[in-house]
This record gives sequence, C-alpha cells and structure tokens, in this order.
Amino acid sequence: MKPRLVIPALLAGAAVAVAMLAQPAQPARAQADEATPALPNVSWSFEGPFGTFDRAALQRGFQIYSQVCSACHSMDLLTYDDLAGSEGLGYTEEQVKAIAAQKQVADIDKNGQAIQRPARPSDHFVAPFANEAAAAAANGGKAPPDLSDIIKARESGPRYVYGILTGFREPPKGFQMPPSGGNYNLYFPGHVIAMPQPLQDDSVQYADGTKATLRQEAHDVVAFLTWASDPTMEQRKRTGAKVVLFLLAMTGVLYGAKRRVWSDVEH
Amino acid sequence: MAVSQNKLVQWIDRRLPVFTYLDHELNEYPTPKNLNYWWNFGSLAGVMLVIMIATGIFLAMQYDPNAGDAFQSVERIMREVNYGWLIRYIHMNGASFFFIVVYIHLFRGLYYGSYKAPRELLWMLGVVIVLLMMATAFMGYVLPWGQMSFWGATVITNLFSAIPGVGKDIVTWLWGGFAVGNPTLNRFFALHYLLPFVILGVVILHILALHQHGSNNPLGIDRKGPQDSVPFHPYYTYKDMFGLSVFLIVFAIVVFYFPNLLAEPQNYIPANPMQTPPEIVPDWYLLSFYAILRSIPNKLLGVCALFGAIFILFLVPWLDTSKVRSAYFRPVYKWVFWLLVIDAFVLGDVGAHRPEGWWIVIGRIGTFYYFFHFIVLMPFIGWFERPLPLPPSIAEAVLKKRGGAPVGAAATRAKP
Amino acid sequence: MADSAHSHTAGAHAPGGSRRDFLVIAGNALLGVGAACTVWPLITSMNPARDVLAAGAPIDVDLSSLQPGQQVLVIWRSRPIFIVHRTPAELTKLQSSADTGLLRDPNSDVLQQPPYATNWHRSIKPEYLVLVGICTHLGCIPEFTPQPGGSLGPAWPGGYFCPCHGSRYDLSGRVFSGVPAPYNLPVPPHHFINDTTVRIGENPPNSTFDFDSIEQI
Repeated sequence: MKPRLVIPALLAGAAVAVAMLAQPAQPARAQADEATPALPNVSWSFEGPFGTFDRAALQRGFQIYSQVCSACHSMDLLTYDDLAGSEGLGYTEEQVKAIAAQKQVADIDKNGQAIQRPARPSDHFVAPFANEAAAAAANGGKAPPDLSDIIKARESGPRYVYGILTGFREPPKGFQMPPSGGNYNLYFPGHVIAMPQPLQDDSVQYADGTKATLRQEAHDVVAFLTWASDPTMEQRKRTGAKVVLFLLAMTGVLYGAKRRVWSDVEH
Repeated sequence: MAVSQNKLVQWIDRRLPVFTYLDHELNEYPTPKNLNYWWNFGSLAGVMLVIMIATGIFLAMQYDPNAGDAFQSVERIMREVNYGWLIRYIHMNGASFFFIVVYIHLFRGLYYGSYKAPRELLWMLGVVIVLLMMATAFMGYVLPWGQMSFWGATVITNLFSAIPGVGKDIVTWLWGGFAVGNPTLNRFFALHYLLPFVILGVVILHILALHQHGSNNPLGIDRKGPQDSVPFHPYYTYKDMFGLSVFLIVFAIVVFYFPNLLAEPQNYIPANPMQTPPEIVPDWYLLSFYAILRSIPNKLLGVCALFGAIFILFLVPWLDTSKVRSAYFRPVYKWVFWLLVIDAFVLGDVGAHRPEGWWIVIGRIGTFYYFFHFIVLMPFIGWFERPLPLPPSIAEAVLKKRGGAPVGAAATRAKP
Repeated sequence: MADSAHSHTAGAHAPGGSRRDFLVIAGNALLGVGAACTVWPLITSMNPARDVLAAGAPIDVDLSSLQPGQQVLVIWRSRPIFIVHRTPAELTKLQSSADTGLLRDPNSDVLQQPPYATNWHRSIKPEYLVLVGICTHLGCIPEFTPQPGGSLGPAWPGGYFCPCHGSRYDLSGRVFSGVPAPYNLPVPPHHFINDTTVRIGENPPNSTFDFDSIEQI
C-alpha cells in the first residue's frame, strides 16, 4: 500500500473496529434476551462455493414436511413438478403425479359449481388452511408461517431453523413463561415460541431406512427447506465458476493489453 | 478531415456529425496522462447504470406491481423464469455496487478538489445524480413488497408529515390512500422505471460538462500543453476496460456466491401491515443518512438534517476556500478528509443499530462532525492552511518521478 | 474506424508491436464473448417460463353430453379448441367428393394435423372432430356454421366462416379455395382415454407427433 495511505487506512480501520466492538456481543437480531446461545455448529452438503444438494437428504426432508409440517405450514411457492428431475428432488414424472394426486384441490366444474379434485403436478403445494385468517384461528391467533422462503427469511437460515427444531427445552428455573402460553426454545428470540415441539426421535419412518433421530430429521428437513428456498443454487454456483474463471482470464489479457498500450508513454 | 473512408459513414456524418464527435471525444480529447485508478470509477458508474437499466427492463417484463401479487411475482422470477434468478440477483446486488462505485467516485472528487472551478457545475450535476439514485433505489426496494419494503416505505413517507401545515396532506397524497398500499406500490413502480432514464439524461449533461474543461488529475494542476496529456483512446479505454474486468470479478463473486450478503432477511417475508418487524432499516447505502435523521430528537429538524446532509454537498465548491485543488499538496486537509470517510462509516454502523445506549451518543457526534466538516473545517482549513509548492506541470512532475531523484515529499507523486 | 492521431504510434509498431496487437485483439474478443454471454440470459428470459410451459399440460374433456350437431369450445395452451360431434348426414357429405373440388387442400397434404388425423374426417373417430379454432389467415376465431345454405349462399355445405376476412372451412376444417386463409385448420394432438372422454394435448400411445412441427397455427 502506498505509504501516504497507510495511516489513514489504519485510522479508518481502527474506527470501524471500535464501532463494531461497541455493539452488543450477539447479532442484533437475537438481542431480546441475553442468554441466547450461539447457533448449533452443523454443516450441510450445500454449503460453500462448490456445495451441492444431497438428494437422498432432500427426499427424506420432503417426507418429514409431508408427514409432519404440512399439517400446519403451507409452501405456496412450490409446485409438485418442482420435485421432479435433477434440479428437483430426483423424483420421476410418475412419482410426482402420484405425490400430487394424494392431495385435493378446490376447483370449479363446467357448471361453475365448487368441487374438489386431485392435485396435478402443475398445481402449487396444497395449503393446510384456506387462507391466513383460518390458519391463525386454528393456531391460537397466530398463523404458522409459509415455509417456501423460510431459510432466506431468517439470519443464518439453515442453522437457525435447525436450532429451533432441536432447541425445545424445559424452561430454566426462574424463567417466567407468559400467561398466554407458549413453548420454551433456546434459539427463538425471546425464548417463547408458539409452535409446540414438532419433531422427536422416530417422528417418521424414513422410506430409505435411515435411522430417524431428531438430529437426522432436523438436518434433513433443513436440507429440503434450503432447496425449497433456493432451488437454482446448484445452477448458480456452476455458472458462477465459469463466469469467474472467464473474468480472471479476461482480466489477465486486458492487463497485458493495458500495459502494452501504455508502454510508449511516460506515466 | 475525414473520419473514415467509408461512404456510408461520411453520408451520415455530414447530416448528423456523430462520427466526427465520437472521433474527437475518443481520439483527440486530451486527458491528463497521470490519472490513477481512482479515475476509473466514473466509467464504472456508467457501466453500472447500463447494467441496472438492462436487467431492470427484463425484470419489469415479468414483475406484477399489484400488492396482492408482487412478492409472489418476484419469487416466480427467481424460480420459474429462465435465468430469472440471475437477472434478479444482478439487479439487486447491482444497486449496492452502483452505490459503492458512486460513493468512491464522490470521495475521489472531494480528495482531489475535482469540484473546484471551473468544474462546479460538473460536481453539482453529480450530486443531482446521487439524489436521483437514492430516490430510485428507495422506490425499487419497495417493489418486492416484503416486510422491509412495506415498513421502510411507511417510515420514510411518514417523514413528510413533519412539514408544518401541509405535511399530513402530502403524505396522504404520496400514499394515494390511508396508508402505504397498492396505489403507493403502483406509482413507485412507474417512477422507478422512469427515474433511471432521468439519471441517464443527467449523466449525459455530466459528461458534457466534464468535456468542457477535461478531467482533473491527482496533482490538481491544469494541463499546460500536449506533453501533459494523452488521447482518451486507446490509453484510457484500455485502462477502463481492465478496471471494469477487475470490478466484474468482485461483482460476480457476490452475485453467484453471496447473493444475499447485503440483503435483509426480513424482506423475504411477505409484507404484513399488521406486524412491524423488530427493526426497520433501509439498505446499507442509505444507512449513514438514516443515522443523521434519527440522531436529532425532533421530527422536523431530523428531516431537515437528512436533506441538509445531501444539499450541503451542492455547496462544497464554495465552502472549500483553498486555492489548491488536490489534497496531495494540502497537509492539513488531507487528514481531515479521512476523518470524514471514517465518519461516514461510523454513521453507517449507527444507522444499522437500534437507537439505544451508546449508539445514540455516537450518532449525534457523527452527525455533528459531518456538518462541522463542511460548514467549519472546509472554509477554515482553506483560509489558514499553507499548501505545499505545486509542480510546474504534469509532464515535469511525471519526469521527475521517473527520473529517479526524489525531489520533495509530496510534489511528484504522480503515479497513475 | 478512425486513425489513432497521437504521436506515439511509431514506436509501438516496433519489436513489441505484434504482441500489443495480439493482446488488444484477444482482449476485445473476450469482451465481445463476455458481452454476448451477458446478453443471452436476458434474451432467453423472455422465452416461456417453466410454469407457463407446465400450464400447457393436456386437458381431459367429457363428451357425454355433447349432442350430434353441437360444438364445444375448450382452452388448451391459451388457444380455443373446437370439439364437434358430427351427425351421420354431415359425415356422409364429407365422405363424398362432391365438395372437395372447392377445397384448397382436400387431402390434407400440408402438415396441419398428426398422421393419425390425415384422413377425410381429419380425426381418430369420425364422429368427433378436434380442431384448433384459429383461422390460418390472421388469427381470428371462425364461427361454427354447420347449416348448409343460409346467408352464405345456396352452395354453402356447412362448416366454419371467419368473420374477419371471409375465409371458409368445411366440417373437417379444410380450407376453401379462393379465400385469404392458406391452410386447413390445425388438428392438435389428442386421443380418447375412454369412449366419452378425449384428452387434448397428448398423442395416442403409439404416436410421437410433435405439434410444433405443423405448418402454421
């Protein structure tokens, strides 16, 4: 770095450091209660610049969503045929048709009368409640959030959701549960979450025979939810590698060209 | 002199001299030969404007500006439209990178005195561009209709109620209803589509103003003759292309690998008028101004401080009384400039946090210093500072440096 | 385009000259490739999105209440589809070659229909006709006028009349000569999944006809 810039840069860095140290120790989002611990240190196959989805885990996670979570949580942004193929969960068209047909969808017949019909692959995931108000009414006044984007909608999404699913505990001595009720959760801001613990060991029997511990279930359903929030992730990372490599090569050539162009000028 | 042997080119040029004009601007237009890489940021800003307009138009083909559908339409672009995810992430992160580039470009101007005569109007046009960018970005952020879109719009439009007398009517007029809602979203979409083209127009004026007297340079001294300059093409066209390529690497890494690094997770929750998020923050590029707004406990004065912070930039050519342009030769101002940079970062951090505890104190100090810098420090330093001796010309300064013998502390640091 | 008018070119074309040109040309080429690769996703984003393509899935239509002589209109891939239950009298008339001399393409030589509908009734079952109801002239929806004669003149055998520019088709959707429309009305892929239900948009099991290969919708 040029000598004359060193001291200003140090000053700027020092100021930024002071400003950052002055803030509370935990991230601003989880500031409501002092004792929120750091999120669990779990890793997934999709992390990092070369990360990909583990399709077996995605299918197990989808099984959990279908059998447990979908009783209360919608995933409006997904369609059943999103599950098919190599960009999806790896199901065939036939399997997706069968998955869809298990659900009923409201429609009108040719006389304009309201009917129910089996879902098609092009239908969006059938929601458990007809609308937001019905969802809230059935759940103590608060509608369970839609899960299509839940991983993007929370800071440190995968670890946060994993923490919530595995973080239910008995309230510690001296902790006052509010009169409106709730469930104590280590990682939820304020520690009182309306949702009762949804998953335990063996909440489902995995189709592929994997042992369904709570941690395994949480890990798999988070993988599925991460795919649901970001289904184009693998295409994005693949394209990114090509683009960055191309740009590095082009930068090298253009640097050479620039040096050549300027070689005849005192500067 | 003929621009080209091509008959078609000559036919057009005789009737509309675009080719002669381009030839002059590229091949004859004299640019100081000692520009450093801080001078790349103007062309980077132009490229970012083009990228934002291009991606924006293609997004607008798929986006639905209706409150019931907007959030879902953006998610549809991400999930269903061919390369929709790429176009959206480029546009979203492009806004951030556009501001990074423009803020660096602005601070370059402050350091090297690029706002001084005869470039006052050039500078003021630049401030107009920043203002338009801030309005455009604010309205653009509302369009996805997430929690932060809705509540950010609510808070910022409510600012206008501070205006005595007509304030509440203005807010209702802005909203088109009793609160931020569908009418607001629709008009913000219309204006968000319009303003970038207004920016484009002001950018053209900005470049015309620049070409009247040519670029400033790191020494801040005028060109004395052809030995001080090179034609823009090919010297700076290739330097700009190289700089663009480096910039694009950083941009690509963010777009492809950290696309939500600068994003607010709350905005992936559909807008809920019945539920205020725990914190309401604008995107990072508005945080410093947000901090200034919140640091004044009076609503109206806070709004005045916010707008004042931007409008004071218009007055910089007259607030700075120094006869010398470049901070190279201004031993006191050089340090004070960096204090302003630090202040901008500190204010940004203040804006990101809830206004409680130490943050309030730091915010008020930072706000005070910001205005103190422009209103007090700039004029006084200009009057009382003893600048270092200026070199006789750009070419001589470059030769002295290349010649090897170090002459003075500051006079000959003329590396590009 | 323009000559580089500065004084330094002379030196640049000496020993390092060709390497300068190579780097410059290579740099420009890479920039061009980069620009093209950047423009491509923008252009292709305008192609039908995944959900739009998925919405073009086949639809099933129940014909049990469609009386002889009647037509029903359904939508498939945003296009009107005519399904006609032809009477025996109409079929007899179509089979005779009395009116085929009036037609531009009586044998359906032009590819406007799947191979399993390249016959005089242009369908799988003679009594049911399935057509894409878009006039091959400029895209209006022709009117169903099965009654012979009437306002179209005594020689009118019954069929379709397009009100926009007067094109006419018979009850197999074959276009008349001397009208602006150039081709027969298209027949979409279809087959019967049972006696009273037709599936529009899907070929019978032994056919691989690609609807995009027809001459013109």
